[in-house]
Amino acid sequence: MFTWRKRGKVFDPAAVARADWMNEFAQAPATLVFDTFVRVYFSCRPRPDANGQYVSRAAYVDLNRANLLEIAGLSEQPILDLGGLGTFDEFGTYPISVVRNGDEIRAYYGGWTRCASVPFDVAIGYAISRDGGVSFEKQGRGPVLPADLHEPFVISGPKIRRFGDRWYLWYIAGTRWILNEGRPEPVYRIRMATSDDGLHWERLHRELIPTRLEADECQASPDVIFTNGKYHMFFCYRHSLGYRGREKGYRIGYASSTDLVTWVRDDDKAGIDVSDEGWDSEMICYPHVFELDGTTRMFYLGNQVGRHGFGLAELEGALS
Amino acid sequence: MKWSKRGLLFEPQRHILPNGCTDFAQSPQALVFDDFVRIYFSTRSRDASGQYLSHIAFVDVDKCLQQVLGTATNTVIPPGALGCFDEHGIFPINVVRHAGKIYAFTCGWSRRVSVPVETAIGLAVSHDDGLTFERVGPGPVMAPSLNEPFLVGDPFVVVRDGLWHMWYIYGTSWVESPSDPGPARVYKIACATSPDGVAWQRDGVTIVADALGADECQALPTVFGCDGLWHMYFCYRHATDFRTHRERGYRLGYAWSRDLRHWTRDDASGGLGVSPSGWDADMLCYPHVFSCDNQVYMLYNGNAFGRQGFGVAVMER
Repeated sequence: MFTWRKRGKVFDPAAVARADWMNEFAQAPATLVFDTFVRVYFSCRPRPDANGQYVSRAAYVDLNRANLLEIAGLSEQPILDLGGLGTFDEFGTYPISVVRNGDEIRAYYGGWTRCASVPFDVAIGYAISRDGGVSFEKQGRGPVLPADLHEPFVISGPKIRRFGDRWYLWYIAGTRWILNEGRPEPVYRIRMATSDDGLHWERLHRELIPTRLEADECQASPDVIFTNGKYHMFFCYRHSLGYRGREKGYRIGYASSTDLVTWVRDDDKAGIDVSDEGWDSEMICYPHVFELDGTTRMFYLGNQVGRHGFGLAELEGALS
Repeated sequence: MKWSKRGLLFEPQRHILPNGCTDFAQSPQALVFDDFVRIYFSTRSRDASGQYLSHIAFVDVDKCLQQVLGTATNTVIPPGALGCFDEHGIFPINVVRHAGKIYAFTCGWSRRVSVPVETAIGLAVSHDDGLTFERVGPGPVMAPSLNEPFLVGDPFVVVRDGLWHMWYIYGTSWVESPSDPGPARVYKIACATSPDGVAWQRDGVTIVADALGADECQALPTVFGCDGLWHMYFCYRHATDFRTHRERGYRLGYAWSRDLRHWTRDDASGGLGVSPSGWDADMLCYPHVFSCDNQVYMLYNGNAFGRQGFGVAVMER
């Protein structure tokens, strides 16, 4: 089992109170390392509208590379515009995953639209930054990874990686909507696609991680890192219903692979769980694992899926 | 092109249709059998909230297209599951015979919040000679893409030399219109190709020039070969005020091509306009051209988008 040392909460947008569009939530952290700081992308929300509905905006916070608990900067504006009327990302951009490609930075993000019979649908969009990741330009008005024949809805949670010459996208796809006392709840599982150019994707069309809790277990945030000759995936999972409390809420799972396609799930090895009390005592979720200056680190969300920000944990030793 | 109109062929109000549908027989599309012609169309019921749901039904007619032999007695394809692209109806359906199988390309509808609807194209296959269809998967084969942001629909498929060609439409904008209920949509005709009917290659470019300006809506392409040329009929209208203003409603457009890629629009040569009076006097829409026993027929809808049914015209040559 891995041993993670929790370092506490790193960033809470409510404590910064910078702008109306960044009122609360700092969801799905994803890093980009610079010389003196680490840029952490996340999605935040303004106050809900008159109907209680939210939009998600993408932003970043810069952390001092020598001390990740120290804030060095914050995005002045959302890094991505919302989509126009009727487009897939009209009501939110969440989550976002970034990767360097030469001088540019590519972003893949979940775009949210609102539906009548279910609350939302999600498809994955694609944007490029040419100003060092301060702002991103969408590469089209539509999604780069929409629903397809075998993945009918909720295509979300992108994690973009590049191994060798190949682009890899881990993501989630909805399998069904459960009608629970009149309220639709989505079920989603981890999947993968590969590409030569990051634009045209071949989907594996297979669920990568077997379920553990129940047949309708929901899985998210498939975060993959290669180290010590092996691919390691940290992700989060929860029960399909009644997941807002501690008992059935998100936990962090783990799987490993040597070929990127076949994954062995071994949650007992993940080594990180909810705290007895505090900001991550009910759930832990949306892990992002990265190596920085010789230490393997994890940003993750706590209670209410990051409503009050994200925290940091550091690994003792190495992933093996 | 010269066409001879024969008048209404099918009026849904005169028949009993599955799912309690009474009004509308939209976008008729033919499947020719040895001794009859099956014509699929979209008809409508109302759901618990009073909103329309489009259902697929069919009518069988004789091979001279003069006599109704029977109608569908069962559901041809049920609506999609909760949250799926075709949960709130299928309109239209394009049925294709290929390699001994009968495929259906469907335009599925789902309701949205900021705009009334989104559409995408699905694929189904029949194992009982077209009486019913089973989805190949729960999602669409043609969904929005980077350059085709919404309202992908109206498929028409031809398989030629092993290559599947699809003509379809995609939305280019939603525009706020004070005179229409909710935002109004603009859509254009495009084309795609596929080796298998499932994986489609497309360019995100429109292929038919606008006659009414950038906000012209182009719908339901139907393509056929005749006398050494490829011919396309489609319908087109203004983006707003098209429901009640006769001069802004659907008309039939026409284009021709030598290579299936480059199209020359020439509506004046289409040869089919609105009638001075009657069921197709206010609008013409949703054309479908097919051959049967050495005749070329066009099925089409008239006033009110096909509320009263569809008619037939015969090509004169």
